Amino acid sequence: MTIPRNAFPAIFSNLAKASEKQQLYVLEKLFSELSESMQLKSSSRKVSPETIKNQITEDLQNQYPEIMKKAEYTEERGVHRALRWGEKVTTLQKSLIDRYLLKGDEFFVENDLFICEACGFIFLGKTSPGLCPVCKAPEKRFTKVS
Amino acid sequence: MYASRNIELCSKDCLCLFVCPTGAADTETGQIDRDLCLDGCRLCVDACPSHAIYLVMNNYPEPGVKNEELTSLMMALLERKTEQEQAARNLESAAQKPGEKKLAMALGKSLRILAEDCAREAGFMLPQSRSVRDMLKELTETVDSEKNEIISKLLREIGKVK
Ligand code: SF4
Ligand code: SF4
Repeated sequence: MTIPRNAFPAIFSNLAKASEKQQLYVLEKLFSELSESMQLKSSSRKVSPETIKNQITEDLQNQYPEIMKKAEYTEERGVHRALRWGEKVTTLQKSLIDRYLLKGDEFFVENDLFICEACGFIFLGKTSPGLCPVCKAPEKRFTKVS
Repeated sequence: MYASRNIELCSKDCLCLFVCPTGAADTETGQIDRDLCLDGCRLCVDACPSHAIYLVMNNYPEPGVKNEELTSLMMALLERKTEQEQAARNLESAAQKPGEKKLAMALGKSLRILAEDCAREAGFMLPQSRSVRDMLKELTETVDSEKNEIISKLLREIGKVK
């Protein structure tokens, strides 16, 4: 399998987390370093929320359903789970962008955004949502975006 | 196997300190000193009133062989999530309005978490697994010397825990 160049930062930041959970702190640090050294620099290419929304919509309309169909008759439970959570989180990303476009900038300044570190679910509100509705992680797995 | 403390659950009742035969449970950082911990002893695990200590394996089984087609599909999805993450980061750095910046920051983080989940399901879940070691070795041929230095340290460290 060839690995696309841009995939390495996420592969390594994930391995850093997996090392940390086993208290392999030296490994954690090295994986983080490698992840960061392979991170693409952000460009000044103009991106709008709509652009991201379009990419996400493509995932929801085609990518997830197609991969799910392929996964259906396999025993890959991890893949099934990742696809289900991923689809939900992505649906909510899209609705968050929709709310931004509809309600405007002020609304996002007045409210806080909380992210579930376990599955990526983003919650908009005044306080964190408690249990994660997507993956059921407890409240302490939520971090506030600021 | 060595003991590990979930620091968020620990209520500092210190019963683990009373039973630990080596002093491994008594540290400044709050985490148990795995170098002093006796393999499989687990006295502290049973003594803790807050169920804050668990045992971590030294050796994990090699993950099972994954379905190749699905693995490549998850890799392709990972590529897409990363492109979107990059777009969100670009939006974040270019954003003029504070709400837009916040939205972009949240999307970037969320997309990274999705990308990481794809990475696990594409076969890179366990740091000490063969697939990770092979991938690192292959990577040495295409990256500069600075990254190669990190990779050789990584391979050495993984060799110690495997
Ligand atoms: S016995 Fe449990 S609660 Fe008490 S210090 Fe040890 S880990 Fe913490
Ligand atoms: S498992 Fe035994 S040696 Fe290790 S920290 Fe607990 S009591 Fe101490």
